[in-house]
Amino acid sequence: MADVDTSQTPDADEALAQEVRSWLAANWSGAPVDAAGHRQWLAKVVEARWAVPRWPAEWGGRGLPDGQARIIERAFAAVGAPGSGQDRTNLWANTLLAYGQPELKQKLVPRLLRGEVGMCLLYSEPGAGSDLAGLRTRAERRSDAAHGDHFVVNGQKVWTSNAATAEYGMLVARTDWDVPKHQGISFFFCPMKQPGVDVRPLRQVTNESHFNEVFLTDAIVPAANQLGDLGQGWSVLQTALAYERSLMGEQARGPRSGAAESTAEEPLIALAREAGKLGDPLIRQELARVVAYKKLNALNTARAKADLAQGTSSPIMSLGKLAMSRILHEEARLRTALLGPESLLEGPGHPRAEDANFLSLNAYFTSIGGGTDQIQRNIIGERVLGLPKEPEVDRDVPFRQVRGG
Amino acid sequence: MATLAREERLAFQDQVRRLLADRSTEAEVRRTMELPAGYDPSLWRQLAELGVVGLLIDEAHGGTGAGPMELELVMEEVGAALLCGPLLSSGVLAAGLLQALGDADAQARLLPRIADGSAIATVAITGTSGTWTPEGVAVTATAAGDGWRLDGEASYVTHGQNADVFLVAANAPDGLAVFEVATGAAGLATTALPTFDHTLRLAQIRFAGVPARRLAARGGAWDAVEQALDLARVALAGEQAGAGRRVLEFTVDYAKTRVQFGRAIGSFQAIKHMAADLLLEAESAISAARHAAQALAEGAPDRDASISLAAFACADAFSTITATAVQMHGGIAFTWAHPAHLYLRRARADAQLFGTPAFYRDRYVQQLGG
Repeated sequence: MADVDTSQTPDADEALAQEVRSWLAANWSGAPVDAAGHRQWLAKVVEARWAVPRWPAEWGGRGLPDGQARIIERAFAAVGAPGSGQDRTNLWANTLLAYGQPELKQKLVPRLLRGEVGMCLLYSEPGAGSDLAGLRTRAERRSDAAHGDHFVVNGQKVWTSNAATAEYGMLVARTDWDVPKHQGISFFFCPMKQPGVDVRPLRQVTNESHFNEVFLTDAIVPAANQLGDLGQGWSVLQTALAYERSLMGEQARGPRSGAAESTAEEPLIALAREAGKLGDPLIRQELARVVAYKKLNALNTARAKADLAQGTSSPIMSLGKLAMSRILHEEARLRTALLGPESLLEGPGHPRAEDANFLSLNAYFTSIGGGTDQIQRNIIGERVLGLPKEPEVDRDVPFRQVRGG
Repeated sequence: MATLAREERLAFQDQVRRLLADRSTEAEVRRTMELPAGYDPSLWRQLAELGVVGLLIDEAHGGTGAGPMELELVMEEVGAALLCGPLLSSGVLAAGLLQALGDADAQARLLPRIADGSAIATVAITGTSGTWTPEGVAVTATAAGDGWRLDGEASYVTHGQNADVFLVAANAPDGLAVFEVATGAAGLATTALPTFDHTLRLAQIRFAGVPARRLAARGGAWDAVEQALDLARVALAGEQAGAGRRVLEFTVDYAKTRVQFGRAIGSFQAIKHMAADLLLEAESAISAARHAAQALAEGAPDRDASISLAAFACADAFSTITATAVQMHGGIAFTWAHPAHLYLRRARADAQLFGTPAFYRDRYVQQLGG
């Protein structure tokens, strides 16, 4: 195994901290200026085996327990250097390492850690949004001289970021239509640069395009790119989703520090003053209500963090997304009310109207994306409050017989 | 302001929780709320012995020497158990006002008796307008010999009918001041007001040339009243947050066990989604109340805004939770025998005491610079 003492003594911890600090002192000279520089830095981190310290040595790790891996991550964070802790945060590499076949792992894991492989997610479909397990993209096993053992994939995916530049997409597709919906799904690394994959930008309600539709027409996926067993794709997906959520949690726990009071005036109050409506008693009531939503969410987050620091888990974290949906919709509504007919206008000459109108539409990004508010309420009701699940009429039926649409 | 160590604070909260679980059961609350006095003297003594009544009072005057953070946690338990009694009147408002005024003689005479529960004190601030602002004061004071006489009216005086001592805000020729009046003083008429919340006691008090002792005020007298009101706001926020959380708990438990259409009603999204929304309300109220308590204890720059936020956010949350909980229960909660209405009544009362949510929302915007 590794040449580092993994025993968890304070001495070993201090020696490790010392080692990583001196390595950083010798190698880190500030954030790289471009993508190529960023990749070069990641390659260095991987080479020095700081990228995935919890992983075994054969995959570039050090086999360290979590506590010592955190020491390394903290040393990186202290100087602002990226690249460590990928054994927690690299969704793609972790999923592949856990479920991939040996040759695909050899081929891609090191490149993924070095940030050399563009990736995207091929999960949602037009007919499978909240009910992802109802997906209908089909993958059929074939074998021929041209492609060897492979799958032929047909279907449509949606809400895919970075699809145009991706080398692979993590794909869930149905491989068995005669078993219940969760049991007939398989998980693949689908090559994106091929004729059978057509990426089209999706024009959003906000008139922007951050996502794509991906049309899969006789797309070829080598059998070696299957992750997990055939029909076991749902459990692979759960692992992938867990990494994604923990990453989102990390980001949510970022610099926004809960209770800290900003010295700048609350923007809604400034806007009310600008609009000459700060004296309107009804507007003042609404201002208090909406500003309070924001403040209460910040206080909840701060309390959840404090609970975590005390070692008690908190149900509050799961409420954040629902709270944020309300904040965004209510704030947009109030901004519109403050502007009145000015919100009829758009364009660079009317920035306040642009803001209010954009926020009114983009609020749905949070209340629909990543699980709708309604799904979120189900999750809170069931996982936090322990209420029983709704009976699922399609759970034990062969998928072929399940109604779609 | 005073603060205990975290461990000490949690241990104290736990003691209060256990006492109330034993002595402020639903059956006890229902029995007590029908008594004329509206509180149980033996439980009051136990609360005093535990140091709850004298929580805010200096140890030198026989109190516990704790502060807003301990008060808030205790009040979460008080709210959850729907405790009936003059804690807010005597232990919070009156004790807080006496400490803020700094009249050493009055403190020495009154605080030890408040702390040990042998005397009940309350504070009369507003007239029938019910605004708890200087403009709301409807008692005037005139000098009479070497003393003072009070004329006018005070209303919404919590536990006025049980008080041994009144601290009365009144307009004197040289400005607002606080006066001490003993029960039974000549010209004093106390009328108990019928209350929608049966666990609450309110009185109207008429003053007709009532002899009174003027208390010295270290700072301004109204500043001292505001300090006492801040403690009462934090206490009320804690009560609302704790009670809201308790209501959500028993409502969710009911949704797990009540079966209709062959399923626990909590499996229906119509109910589940209400419960999820209430959890956000309940947790936000706890956060707001605790933050306000901490801001007050530390004298933080955002102290006043945090107290206003807690005042309306906790009132709104407790009102929403109780109202929604009745609906989630269905018919059973439309009966007198079910406890939901006891909490609903307390929520409606708490939302009016010491200022309405609308008042605090407006004040919040003002405190944020608007």
